[in-house]
Amino acid sequence: MSPALEDYLETIYLLVQEHGFARVKDIARARDVKAATVSIALRKLAELELVRYERREYIALSPHGEEAGRRVFTRHRLLARFFEEVLGMPAAAASEQACAMEHSLTDDAMNRLVRFFEFVGSCPNVVDSFRECQTALGPGCSPEQRNTSGACALCSEKEEDPQMSLADLKPGQSAVVTHVGAAGALRQRLLDMGILPNTTINLERSGPGGEPLWIRCHGARLALRRTEATVIRVRDEMA
Amino acid sequence: MLDAAKQMTKAEPAKAFRVALAGNPNCGKTSLFNALTGARQHVANYPGVTVERRTGSCAVDELRAEVVDLPGTYSLSSFSPEEKVAEDELMDGPAVVVVVADSTQLQRNLVLLAQIMQTGANPVLCLNMADEARAAGQTLDLPLMEQLLGFPVVETVGHRGHGVAGLKQAIRRAARTPVVRHKIVLGAELESALAAIRKVLPASPARALSDDWTATRLLLDDPAHTKRVESLPGGDRAIAAARGQRTRLESLTRKDISVFVTERYFGFVDGLLREARTLAPRLDPRELSDRIDAVVVHRHLGLPIFALVMFAIFWLTFAVGQYPMEWIQAGATWLGDTVSALWPEGPDSVLRSLLVDGVIGGVGGVIVFLPNILLLFLGLAFLEDTGYMARAAYLTDRLMHRFGLHGKSFIPMLSGFGCTVPGIMATRTLENERDRLVTMLVLPLMSCGARLPIWLLLIPAFFPPIWRAPVLWLVYAAGTLLALVLALALRKTLMRGDDAPFVMELPPYRLPTLRSVVIKMLGRAGLYLRKAGTTILALSILLWVATSFPKPSSHRVDEQIAAGEVVVTEKVDAAAATPFGSAPLVLSQSELAGRRATEDLEFSAAGRVGRALAPVFAPLGFDWKIVTAMIGAFAAKEVFVAQMGIVYSITDAEAGTQGLRAALARDYRPVTGLSLIIFLLVGTPCMATFAITRRESGRWRFAALQFGGLTAIAYLLALIVFQVGRLFG
Repeated sequence: MSPALEDYLETIYLLVQEHGFARVKDIARARDVKAATVSIALRKLAELELVRYERREYIALSPHGEEAGRRVFTRHRLLARFFEEVLGMPAAAASEQACAMEHSLTDDAMNRLVRFFEFVGSCPNVVDSFRECQTALGPGCSPEQRNTSGACALCSEKEEDPQMSLADLKPGQSAVVTHVGAAGALRQRLLDMGILPNTTINLERSGPGGEPLWIRCHGARLALRRTEATVIRVRDEMA
Repeated sequence: MLDAAKQMTKAEPAKAFRVALAGNPNCGKTSLFNALTGARQHVANYPGVTVERRTGSCAVDELRAEVVDLPGTYSLSSFSPEEKVAEDELMDGPAVVVVVADSTQLQRNLVLLAQIMQTGANPVLCLNMADEARAAGQTLDLPLMEQLLGFPVVETVGHRGHGVAGLKQAIRRAARTPVVRHKIVLGAELESALAAIRKVLPASPARALSDDWTATRLLLDDPAHTKRVESLPGGDRAIAAARGQRTRLESLTRKDISVFVTERYFGFVDGLLREARTLAPRLDPRELSDRIDAVVVHRHLGLPIFALVMFAIFWLTFAVGQYPMEWIQAGATWLGDTVSALWPEGPDSVLRSLLVDGVIGGVGGVIVFLPNILLLFLGLAFLEDTGYMARAAYLTDRLMHRFGLHGKSFIPMLSGFGCTVPGIMATRTLENERDRLVTMLVLPLMSCGARLPIWLLLIPAFFPPIWRAPVLWLVYAAGTLLALVLALALRKTLMRGDDAPFVMELPPYRLPTLRSVVIKMLGRAGLYLRKAGTTILALSILLWVATSFPKPSSHRVDEQIAAGEVVVTEKVDAAAATPFGSAPLVLSQSELAGRRATEDLEFSAAGRVGRALAPVFAPLGFDWKIVTAMIGAFAAKEVFVAQMGIVYSITDAEAGTQGLRAALARDYRPVTGLSLIIFLLVGTPCMATFAITRRESGRWRFAALQFGGLTAIAYLLALIVFQVGRLFG
């Protein structure tokens, strides 16, 4: 599939997500081309069995097409986000850059990049310290500078306890939630209790033998087991 | 809505309009329910799950409202049976849903309100515990809240009954207004996503107003909703749309969808509270509760204090409860004697025996547990209402969790030392069904009070004085240990699965009101009498039949008298009058009656079953006498002693125990005694246990599993002990 076709697919995908269908004139408007040009692209997409005409000029995606559309869109979002949020480019420029790049990467290269981005993105410390490093020391912040003690205290400080969980607190300590792990019922219960990122939690005491933990959150007292506390990642209140 | 309800009432006067009470656990919903319905309530289980369904009725003006108390839930996420049940009830379309919120915890409590608004319900917001919140410096602008939310908002103090009249007014007001789609501000991103999913949802007129909720659940990938929508024509489109929106929102916000949606709910609540709430600065940030907790759940003091509290409750239950139990037993005996006296002397009357031994004995057997149940639940209701129950679970969870149980299993298991029946009923405090079932199933292993007479008979019969106390201790310890080990085994096999989250709220200490404690206590007692009592009565009559019929046409001992082999004397101490080994044998009148009773039992169905089963139990060292006595012991464990007495023709109670011990020591070896103790400790829970387990678990198969499983384990253990013991002599 050509880059242009991929762009069309992405546009159709977004329109379908928003309205449940796409029309030729909507696509033309979104891509800023003539309706006739859209029709040619649509015919090619239909040949590839990615789209189908539902009624006159109403276009839907085939399951295969939806899958492909989503893939293109996710790639685009991911690249745009990387340029914007991690590298700090303006939104419009980031999106343009992503458009240019998304077609030229092979699936394999893209997958590897995705995994890297996910890794970087899931650990806000990395992104934040990169940003702070940039602003604190300017674009010339070199690895040597960072590793010399004191030159960039930000990094060493951040790296100290990136994995600190609620269970690591001592009685009387407070911390701010950064991430809530776990799945299913436990996750639901934690969220129901208002244990969300940026919530302050105070560990008041622990039971006989160090378990369960007795915490205070949103003014309520809660008890939870150590294993459950480890899924709640926290950072120091001061940081 | 009210007009519709009125018409319905006209057409079918029996049908009332339905009001559901929803709210978080610990929000005081139940005391509000009690205040609304008074004594007119009905407690049962939802079919198939161990979730209590409480309904009652209440007059709202001229109308009768059927009030359903939904199980307390933090959200409607359908992860637990409680949440599933609550959601189903809400979707069933009650006329009005009263959302009860703890005014001191509004932030968290109102999230449930937002979800219920999404279901298209017709809500009334009831801000409970308003007095506490006011004392803490919180003022709410109720008219503004009504205006913002678009439905009635009232304040109440449920356990004192304050504001209940206002709540009824609000229910009436809500019932009059037509249900509309509620406006919930969840932010542009989420709202547009929900709108996009809603647009492609398959039409279902019955749920037209709840499509916001359905869209939210699809967006969150809720398996139950996804499955339901998938089965509808065109449902796959809605699911695809939800998937797309999920990807879009997650990449847009860089947040997990469940975190994002929960944040939006909290955002909605925060917005509402920012408008309508003013908080006075607090003078003393340390509440009274915190000061109490500093001592009561102290790392070192916590457990000793807990032990004291439990001791006090058990003393109340079993030491004080002893007296009314004795009165009930005495009353039953008196009634039995009085009824017996109505019949002329002479041959046994079947009707008399049915009335005295079957009915009066059976009813007595049911109500004899009542004092224990009333007192234990008085104590537990007090613990629950003060807020100490949650602290007890906090203190014991570490120990219980090692065995796959929950902190809240501790008190029911401890109660089992007194009596298994109230212990099993006390498992209701466990919210998680699996934890509750496991606790219930192993509870009969805690050696109950009714088994103490058995130990007091058997241990001195087979063990020298110095060993008696340690053996008794060992019996209790072994039972407890086996219960814990079995619980762990169950959690690893039949009841496998992740631990239920122990994220438990510890409510502030509150002074309980007499009214709510008494209602709770009477509710439990009523449940016991109605539900378990009937089964126990039926089974005890059945057992009476089994031990009384068929009757032999003549007794061997009478034939022996006719043949001159046995002589009956009027003297009381016949044995002394008989030189050893001489014939004819001399029997006193009471010994003669005993011999007849033995022959009756031997001839009865129970005796025959005992004989038939004897070969099965022979490897354990039991003979037909023991097996027959064990069949009787199914009625109640302590009956074993009486049945052994009948088997051995020893009917005189005082001299009986001594004589019976001598007879046992003569007939059986100590290793048989040990094997018997193990079998009676572990196996064959009594029929009251069987009945209550069936009631509380809601299914026969759990009662059968408990009975069969424990008996099989008992058989195995007794077999090992007897066979190994025999090797060593």
